[in-house]
Amino acid sequence: MLRDITLGQYFPGNSPVHRIDAMVKIILAVLYMTVIFIAKSFLAYGLVAAFTFFVIFLSTVPIRFVLRGLKPLLIFIVFTAVLNLFMTGGTVIWQWGFLRLTREGIIYASLMILRVVFLIMSTSLLTYTTSPIALTDGIERLLTPLGKIGFPTHELAMMMSIALRFIPTLLEETDKIMKAQMARGADFKTGSLIKRAKALIPLLVPLFISAFRRADELAVAMECRCYRGGKNRTRLHESKVGRIDFIALGILIVFSALVILSNKSG
Amino acid sequence: MKNKRLKKVTVTAIMAALATVLMFIETPLPLFPPFLKLDISDLPAVICAFAIGPLWGVLVELIKNLVHMTSTQTALVGETANFIVGASFTLCAGIIYKKRHTKKGAVVGLAAGILSMALAGVVANYLILLPLYSPNLPEAEKASLVFYGITPFNLLKGVILSAITLFIYKPLSSILHR
Repeated sequence: MLRDITLGQYFPGNSPVHRIDAMVKIILAVLYMTVIFIAKSFLAYGLVAAFTFFVIFLSTVPIRFVLRGLKPLLIFIVFTAVLNLFMTGGTVIWQWGFLRLTREGIIYASLMILRVVFLIMSTSLLTYTTSPIALTDGIERLLTPLGKIGFPTHELAMMMSIALRFIPTLLEETDKIMKAQMARGADFKTGSLIKRAKALIPLLVPLFISAFRRADELAVAMECRCYRGGKNRTRLHESKVGRIDFIALGILIVFSALVILSNKSG
Repeated sequence: MKNKRLKKVTVTAIMAALATVLMFIETPLPLFPPFLKLDISDLPAVICAFAIGPLWGVLVELIKNLVHMTSTQTALVGETANFIVGASFTLCAGIIYKKRHTKKGAVVGLAAGILSMALAGVVANYLILLPLYSPNLPEAEKASLVFYGITPFNLLKGVILSAITLFIYKPLSSILHR
């Protein structure tokens, strides 16, 4: 049950998309999302679709993996689409009671579906082609300028890597305590909401105690190894921004310009 | 232990890991649509805010959502919303408890936290999240969706979260302040 959960959805590979530096890839993803928000015409979305499928093809991630990410949000997508479909004013095409279908409504609803679908696909693509560790590293380097004004960038990255490291450990621990309490007759799955919330307390107290103990031990261990924060710290794997990153950035800038141009024509 | 700050860093990190773990034990709420789920992943943040300071509690929320971003399925929108709502609850409760370090202070802090969480939920949904996804929804429809769909859920979540916090903080605090 709990033990089978894996965090992140990294799909290992060595494609050009995988090889883009993590920091640059985050910037590219944000830029791409902005482009998707800017896109307003069907022609622009056609370009977005073509580009997204091109990147998926380049990344060698099976397309069904990317599409699978859409499944949990299906209800949400349908909900927003229906909302947009019936709540937009304009030329009435069809009316039945309070339900009113307008030309503008149909256009907006379909554009909205396209927007949500491509937003989700592009972020999934980022997490499919970048490992959580690389993403952490990318976030740290991205936040480095904030360090100048006193933001604890290095500590944040350190905490994130510790968290990533301890999630499997704590999952196992949770599983163990849950089973131990179930053996004593605890019931987590049935009953009213209050009953279920109450049932969590015998699980949470030992879990928190064990977590605090681990934090204590970790602090002592780090202190013993003379950890002193980010100053002068060296790395085993230095990542550098290289040629491929500039090429990717160039392609995306050209693409953004195309989308903005096609907005006007559509 | 000489380095007090390092201890805070590790506690915050492990609490963030625990918050991520607790995200997986979600219980669907009766009466609400199935995609609104009750998760108790804000609990470690509140405990952390009470134990070592409000800002560290906010950091727990931040790291939890950064970690969750590595497997995002909502194009970062879900994470942003979760952070805004969770951080306002944690920060508010933590600051008041820091000023009044008593059981009463904790209750008042948590109550204020619930209110600020509901408020942050309204502001975040109204100004940021809904406009992104349905920009041409009429104002009245938007307001009623936020007030009837999202606010009761946030209030209920806050009440349950506060109740559990009050129950478990006492047995934990003896271990925390050794």
